[in-house]
Amino acid sequence: MSFKYPVVMPKMSMTMETGELIIFHVKVGDHVKSGDVLFEVMTDKIDMEVDAPADGVIDSLLAEPGAVIEIGKPVLIMLTDTEVMAFDFGNEEVEAVQVEQIEQVEVKIAPPTAAVILNESVKAVPKARSEAAKRGVDLRTIAATGPDKTITMHDLNNAQVDPAMAARQKANRALIAKGIEMSRGIAQASFSRTVNSDFETATLIRAWASVLRSRPDLAIHTHVGVALIIESKYGSALPVFKDPDHLAHEDLKALVASTSEAAKNGKVPLAMLTGATTTIFDVSRYSMNSSTPLLFPNQVTSLTIGYGTESEKNISLTIDLNFCDFYDGALLLDALVASITKH
Amino acid sequence: MSERMLTMAEAIREAMCIAFDERPEVFLLGEDVGIYGGAFGVSADMYHRYGAERVLDTPIAELGIVGAAVGAALSGMRPIVEIQFSDFTAQAMDQIANQAAKIHFMLGGALHVPMVLRTPQGSGTGAAAQHSQNLEPWFASVPGLKVVVPSNPADAKGLLLSSIDDPNPVIFLEHKLLYKIPGREPVPEGSTRIPLGVSKVVREGKDLTIVATGIMVNKAWEVCEKLSAEGISITLIDPRTISPLDMQPVFESVDKTGRLLVVQEGPAHAGFINEVIAQMAGSASFGSLIAPIKRLAGMNIPIPYAPQLEKAAVPQIEDIEIAAREIVKNWR
Repeated sequence: MSFKYPVVMPKMSMTMETGELIIFHVKVGDHVKSGDVLFEVMTDKIDMEVDAPADGVIDSLLAEPGAVIEIGKPVLIMLTDTEVMAFDFGNEEVEAVQVEQIEQVEVKIAPPTAAVILNESVKAVPKARSEAAKRGVDLRTIAATGPDKTITMHDLNNAQVDPAMAARQKANRALIAKGIEMSRGIAQASFSRTVNSDFETATLIRAWASVLRSRPDLAIHTHVGVALIIESKYGSALPVFKDPDHLAHEDLKALVASTSEAAKNGKVPLAMLTGATTTIFDVSRYSMNSSTPLLFPNQVTSLTIGYGTESEKNISLTIDLNFCDFYDGALLLDALVASITKH
Repeated sequence: MSERMLTMAEAIREAMCIAFDERPEVFLLGEDVGIYGGAFGVSADMYHRYGAERVLDTPIAELGIVGAAVGAALSGMRPIVEIQFSDFTAQAMDQIANQAAKIHFMLGGALHVPMVLRTPQGSGTGAAAQHSQNLEPWFASVPGLKVVVPSNPADAKGLLLSSIDDPNPVIFLEHKLLYKIPGREPVPEGSTRIPLGVSKVVREGKDLTIVATGIMVNKAWEVCEKLSAEGISITLIDPRTISPLDMQPVFESVDKTGRLLVVQEGPAHAGFINEVIAQMAGSASFGSLIAPIKRLAGMNIPIPYAPQLEKAAVPQIEDIEIAAREIVKNWR
């Protein structure tokens, strides 16, 4: 027997609330295989294809191309025999449906427009500014060699910038900046400890997840999702490791390694784009001792790992003071340090 | 037709004589323009050629001279006034700015003031602060006055004949140091005219646009020659009339070169050349600029008497050369 299964508007970034349906690639009655492209959506200048989560038949299309749809709301209904995915659409709680999507998705980018590229924060000669807008180049990506660090036409012409890449970086940066901006007003505090540096990233992720799980009072989510900031060719990527403390150490280690590698190339599995409850930023790989503490929206904590000496690292914890006081914060960091030192 | 190389004084005299011959209502008046032949020898023998009725020696009374000319112009004559030094126009400013410039407007166009006021200006003669000023912005800022600043004999002739033809007042500012210098171009024979309000592209290049007025056109020319040997090619533009001002060639040139250097002799503060910068900054060609606009102008001081200081107070060839080279080298 077939079950009705709604394919919903996915949440593709932490600030995304709605997405625009661009086009359907299927019509009612089509037989689809798991992984076939069902439709394309657009948000924050990013286009993405949404694939069939399982084999089945298209039952109905619930929106017209051009419609703006809230995340979690159904876009189409498919009939599937795959019981594990099956869901009775009679239930109103469609938000509860989580599409298990393990395909690696390559995000497509809309062509850059002049309006997106204009910015006031760099000095450039007028011609360079107008040319950069025309070419879709972000002037912040250009090294200035002119007097008073002004970008000249020479600088612009010699810069090897891929406009699509620049636009992608800008969109990505805007997403992260918006998130940080949203949480800037939150009362927060940071603590630092120096620890022995002989721990792996996977160990840290696991230990931090366990510490957080032991403190349900700090949680505004039922799961623990550890986001790891990774420098990708498009800028910062934030893959989320969900409940990493439930995975075997070797499995997590392999997952961190493969995800990091994929993220560097700008690919993060769709399922790993959401669900972060805390964030880890490791600046020690750049030989930095510390960086500005970050707190993303809907997250109570974040960790920054800095370079100490050859054998030491600095771990700093930032907490939302609405959820814990200074003493709690200190205990939390203490517990983390104890946990990774033990390993 | 032979190619005649005249000095600016000769070219101006020739234009006046042509106008005298063509129109009986044209006459010249001023201090020492008659028997003496003009303080800088511009009118020379005109007194003897045309007689005391058409070449009038006046008392030392600038307000009276210009007032008489305005009255004559209103009653059908075409006076050419010579004020010995442009500094002395300060004495005559009520007649120039309040009467000559405004009568046509205030009487609804019923009357005209076809007067030309010629006057030598500028520094470089060791005549100190009250005989060396460049007062271009004084006149250029008065609506109702047209202001001509010739940089060479051929232009001076054609522009002066157009100025005499003009039905309303024209201020004709002649640089003293140019009077005795032959131009680079021959002066055409006969009754030829150059329209007012048309800038001249003196030479064309691709690396830099220089806009200069009066004697600074000549200094900039030297720089263009010198730098072309270094591979820097420069477009030199002479507005010729600073009011009205023809900016179109400047825009078109900056669209090609992307760099603009402006040069004037008068003080930088509130100077005429600032108008060129303002119009460029507000134009569609602003987006063509690949370098900040550079201004060279006189210092904001009275012209000193000491020759070394007098020279240092206004842009010289070396100053223009350094500025031009820097713009091109620093802004690529």
